[in-house]
Amino acid sequence: MHPWLRAHLKKHVVAYCLAVSMTLVVSAINLVNPLLAGVLVDRVIIAGELSLLWKILGIMVLAVVVKSTIRYSYQMICERVSQDVLRSCRQELFVKLQRMDFGYFDRTKTGDIMAHMTGDLDAVRHFIAWVVYQIAENLIMFVAAIAALFFVDWRLTLAMLAVAPFIGALTFALARKVKPTFAAVRAQFSRLNSTVQENIAGNRVVRALTREDYETDKFQAENGAYRDRNVESAAVWARYIPPIEFFSGVLPVILILVGGAMIIRGEMTLGGLVTFNGLVWAINQPMRMAGWLVNDVQRYAAAADRLDKLFALQSALPGGRKGLRPASIEGRVEFRNVSFSYGDENVLEGVDFVAEPGQTIGILGPTGSGKSSIGRLMCRYYDATSGEILLDGVDVRDYDLDFLRSKVGVAMQDVFLFSDTIEGNIAFGCPDAPMREIVRAAELANAHEFVGELDQGYDTIIGERGVGLSGGQRQRVALARLLLASPPVMILDDTTSSVDIETEERIQESLKSLRGTRTMFIIAHRVSSLMHADRILVIKDGRVAERGTHEELRALGGYYEEVYRHQTGSGARAAARPEGTTSSRPGCEE
Amino acid sequence: MARNKYDVDEDLSHEFDAASVLRMLRYLRPHGRRVLAAVALMIAASLVSLLGPYAIKIAIDDCIPRGDIRGLAVIAAVLIAAQAVGAVCLWIRIKVMNDIGQGVVHSIRSDIFRRLQELPFSYFDSRPHGKILIRVVNYVNSLSDLLSNGIINLITDLFSLVFIIVFMFVIDARLTLVCLAGLPVLAVAVLALKKRQRETWQDLSRKQSNLNAYLHEALSGVKVTQSLARAAENERIFASLGDKWRSSWMRAVGTIFLVWPTIEVISVLGVCLVYLCGVSWLKEGMTVGVLVAFVGYVWRFWSPISTIGNFYTSLVQAAAYLERIFETIDEPASISDAPGSVALPPIRGHVEFRDVRFSYEPGRRTLDGVSFSAEPGSRIAIVGPTGAGKTTIVNLLSRFYAPDSGAILVDGADIQDVTVKSLRSQMGVMLQDSFLFSGTILDNIRYGRLDAADEEVVEAAKAVHADAFISSLKEGYGTAVNERGIRLSMGQRQLISFARALLADPAILILDEATSSVDTETERAIQKGLDRLLRGRTSFVIAHRLSTIRDADRILFIDKGRILEAGTHEELSELRGAYYGLYASMHTFD
Repeated sequence: MHPWLRAHLKKHVVAYCLAVSMTLVVSAINLVNPLLAGVLVDRVIIAGELSLLWKILGIMVLAVVVKSTIRYSYQMICERVSQDVLRSCRQELFVKLQRMDFGYFDRTKTGDIMAHMTGDLDAVRHFIAWVVYQIAENLIMFVAAIAALFFVDWRLTLAMLAVAPFIGALTFALARKVKPTFAAVRAQFSRLNSTVQENIAGNRVVRALTREDYETDKFQAENGAYRDRNVESAAVWARYIPPIEFFSGVLPVILILVGGAMIIRGEMTLGGLVTFNGLVWAINQPMRMAGWLVNDVQRYAAAADRLDKLFALQSALPGGRKGLRPASIEGRVEFRNVSFSYGDENVLEGVDFVAEPGQTIGILGPTGSGKSSIGRLMCRYYDATSGEILLDGVDVRDYDLDFLRSKVGVAMQDVFLFSDTIEGNIAFGCPDAPMREIVRAAELANAHEFVGELDQGYDTIIGERGVGLSGGQRQRVALARLLLASPPVMILDDTTSSVDIETEERIQESLKSLRGTRTMFIIAHRVSSLMHADRILVIKDGRVAERGTHEELRALGGYYEEVYRHQTGSGARAAARPEGTTSSRPGCEE
Repeated sequence: MARNKYDVDEDLSHEFDAASVLRMLRYLRPHGRRVLAAVALMIAASLVSLLGPYAIKIAIDDCIPRGDIRGLAVIAAVLIAAQAVGAVCLWIRIKVMNDIGQGVVHSIRSDIFRRLQELPFSYFDSRPHGKILIRVVNYVNSLSDLLSNGIINLITDLFSLVFIIVFMFVIDARLTLVCLAGLPVLAVAVLALKKRQRETWQDLSRKQSNLNAYLHEALSGVKVTQSLARAAENERIFASLGDKWRSSWMRAVGTIFLVWPTIEVISVLGVCLVYLCGVSWLKEGMTVGVLVAFVGYVWRFWSPISTIGNFYTSLVQAAAYLERIFETIDEPASISDAPGSVALPPIRGHVEFRDVRFSYEPGRRTLDGVSFSAEPGSRIAIVGPTGAGKTTIVNLLSRFYAPDSGAILVDGADIQDVTVKSLRSQMGVMLQDSFLFSGTILDNIRYGRLDAADEEVVEAAKAVHADAFISSLKEGYGTAVNERGIRLSMGQRQLISFARALLADPAILILDEATSSVDTETERAIQKGLDRLLRGRTSFVIAHRLSTIRDADRILFIDKGRILEAGTHEELSELRGAYYGLYASMHTFD
C-alpha cells in the first residue's frame, strides 16, 4: 500500500477493521440459507418433518434481515472512512499546492493537477469504499464455503478445487498485463482534462482568432485517444475474464459428475448433493469475481502511483531556515549583489540597493529587464541564485515564509481576481476586515467611485479573472486588495498600466498619503507613476543602470531622461504638441 | 444573468425527465446494431446459464435414482459446452459494450465541447471555469458505465426475466404466480425511495461542482494567494467545501444503499412463500425435483430484478449529471449566424457604427448611442477614462456581443447579417488578456495563422520586437510556456500575443492596450514599424499612452458610453476639451 494512503488510513483503522470483519458475519449468513435449503429438502420435503418448515423459514428471513442490517452498516462505515480519507488526502495536497514555488506552476498545467485531484483521488476513494470490502466478502465466503463443504464431504470438495490453480494463474497474468493499460488511461485523462481546461480559460483568445475548429480538432484528438485507451484496456481484461468465468463455471459440472457418481455408489446422500449445489455459488462467485476485483485493484494502483508524485512534492523554497516571526517589521530592504536566473541567462546580475523604512523606490526599465524579478525575490517566489536579500537586516530566507509574505505584499502585473463579490476580492488578504476599511481601501485605489455605480455595489459578483470589469478597473480592485492588507513593504508591479492618466494621478495622490509609513516599490513604465519616488532605479539587462531622484536622473541624461522625453512628447514629436501645454510643464525644457 | 461563484449552488434550468431519457438513448442509435448484437449474445448466454438448474433437476430426478452414470456424463459434457459458449459470449460482450460505452461518452463530450465553442463570453464570465470543466470531463465520464453495461444489462435482464418466468411456468404455473406476487410490493418500495435519491444526488453533484470550482480558482490564483499570505484561509474554505461534499455524499449513498436490502428482504419473503405453498402442495402430486428446481429458479428470478433495481439507481445518479450536461448543450449561443446570413467578402476596411447602444447587464448602459465611421486603411485611436466603454466598442465590432440597438457595418454590410466566422477570420484582435496556451512560444505565435511557416512566425516576432528576448532564452522559440507561467513578464507576453494577432494578417486589426506593459522604448520601436504593418489595414487602437495615440488618423474620446470628441490630434488639441485635458495631464507631471 502506498505510504501516504497508509498514513491517512491510520486514524480510521479501528472502524475500518470493524467494517471489514463485519463482512465475516454476512458471509456466514450467506452460507446459512443454502444449508437451510438442504435441510429443508432432506428433512421437510423428503422426510416429511413439516413441523420444521416454519422454523427454517423463520431463520431464513431473520438471517436476511440481520445480514442486510449489518451489510448496510459496514457499507456506510466504509463509505465514511473513504470520504474521510479522500477529504484528508485532498486537503493535504491542497495545502501542499498552495505553498508550492512558482517554478512548479511554471512547469505544470492546471488541468493536470485537476486530474490528480479529481479522477485519481476518486479511484483511491472507490478502492477504500468498495474494493476492499468486496475482496474481504468474497475471500471470507470462499474460505467459509470450502470449510463447510469439507465438513460435508472432503473428497468432493477437493475435486472441485481442481479448477483453482487455473483461475489463480489467469488472475495473476491479468493483474500484470492490465496495470499499464490503466496507467495509460489515467495519463490520457490528464491530457484531456488539460486540453478542455485551457480551452475554457483561453476562450477569449480562441474566439478572437476564430480558432474554434482548430480547438475542436485538438480536443477531438485527445477525446478520441481517451476512448481508445479505454477500449484498449478493456481488450486486455476481455481476454482474461471470460476464461476465468469459464473455469468457475466448470464447478457445477464437477459437482454433478462426481457428486452424482458418489450418490450412485452410496457414498453421499441426496441432501448432501443439494447442500453442495446450494453452496457451489459461494465458491463459484469469488472465483468469478477474482478477475474483476484484480482489475479494480490495478485501476486503483495506477491512479495511486500517479498520486505518489503529487504527495512527494517538495517546494523548491524551504519554509524559512530559522522560521523567524519578529513582532514588528520596520521595512528596511537591502539587496546585496543579487543575481538570479530562471534557468536561462541571468535575469538579474549583481543588483545592489537599499530602501530605508518608509521610502518609496521607483523602478523603471525595458520589458524583460528583470524589474518584476526584483519583487519576486523580495517575497521569495524564487530564491536568488547568489547574493543576499535582507529585510530589516535579516536574510529573507531566515523568516517564516508565510510571515515574510504577509509583510511583503505585491500587486501583480497580471491581475487575478476571483469569482466572488468585489468586497470579497478586496478583503482577500484580510477576510475579517470591517466594511468601512474595505471602502477606505477602495477609495485609496480610486475604485470606490466605479464600484458605487454598479447595481449591487460591493456585493457585485465579478467573474473569474475579474471579467465584467475593464482592465483598469480590475487593476484598481487588485490595488485596493493590497492596500487593505497594507503590509509594511509593498510592491506595486505595473499596477496602473491600464488606468487612464487622470485616475492614475489620483491614485498617486493616495499613495503619497502612505509615504513614510510603508516602504513602497513602484514598478512602472510611466515616468509619471514614479517620478515622485525618493529614489528611482533604472534596471537594464538585469543591472542597476541608473539610480537617483527624478531630478538627478534627468540631469544624467541617460535612459531615464530619454523615456521621460518620449512620454511627455518633448522628444522627436514635440512639434505636434498643442500650444499652451508647454507652459504647464515645469522642468521640461529643451 | 446573475454570476455564480464557487460557494453558491447553481440553479437548474431543466429537470431530468422522460424526454431526457429518450435523448440519452438517442446517443446509442449509431451503435444500434451492435447493441442488438450484444443483447442477443447476452440472451443466448443467459439462456445457456439457465440450463444449469434444469440439468441438476434431471440429474437428481432421473439419472441419480436410476444410477445412470453415462447420463450424468452427457449432462456434464453439455454443461461444459454451455460454459464455453458463455465465455465466448462474455468476451465479445465486454468488447462490444466497452466500444459502445466509450463511443457514447466520446460523442456526448464532443457535443458539449462543440457547444462550448459557440457560447458567448457571457457564459464563461458568469460562472467559475471549474464548474464548466467538471461538466465536460468528470460528469461525462460518470455516464460511461450506465450507457454501456447499464443499458445492455437492463435489456438482457428484462429478457432473461421473461425466460425465467416462462421456465417457471413450464415447471409449475401455480408456484410461478405465487412468486410474482412479490413484484408489486417491490415497485412500491423502490418508488418510495426515488424522491430522496433524486434530491440527494442532485445536491451531491452541486457540491462536487463547487469544490471543483474552488480548486480550479485556487490553482489559477495561487500567485495572489501567496502574495497576500492567505493560504490558511483558503485551506479553511477548501476544507469546509470538502465537508459539505462529504456530508452530501453520505446522505446520497445512505439512500442508495437502502435499495439493495429492500430487494433482498422482499425476495426472501417471496422464496419463503414458494416453499410454504410448494410443501403444502406436495400431497397434491408435486415432486421433490420440481420443487428443488423451482426454488433454483426463484433465486434466479430475483437476480435480474435486483439488476433492474440497480440500473434504476444508477439512472437516478446519472440524471443529476446528465441534466447538467444537457443544460450546457442546450445553452443558446446568443451570437450565432442569423438565418440566411452570408459570408463576408474580403474586407476592404470601411467600418461604421450607427447609433449603437449596448448594456452587459440590463439597466446599466455601457454604450449609449455611439456613431462613427472609419475609412479603409485608417488608424482609429480610442481613448477615455477606464470603464468608459472603449473595450466594449471593439467587442461589438468583433461580434463578441450583439448591440441592443443600432447597427455596425463593415464595408456597408451589417455584421449581424454575415457569418461570424467570415467576419472574425478577417479581423485580428489583440485582447487585454494576453492568454498563452501551454506549448512553445512558436506554437503560441503560430496560433494566429496555423499554416504559417517558421520564418513567418519569426518575422512577426521581429515586427513587434519580441525576437530579441525570445532568442535570448536558452531554448529560443522552443521555450515552453503556459497559461500561468511567469517566466515571461507581462510585457513579453503582450508582445507574443501582439505577434500572434499580426501573423493572422487581418484586414481589420484591433489592439486593445496591446503594449500597456511594454516599456516606452520598445513601444516606440514598434510604433516606427507599425506604419508599415498597418498599411492597408483598418486599425483600432485602445491605449492610455500618448505616444500610441498621437499618430492616429482619428481619435475618439469616449466617456460614459458616448463619443465626446472626435478628430485628429491637432483638431482635438485645438478644441481644448476633454482630450486636451487628458493630453495636458500627460505633460503635467506635477
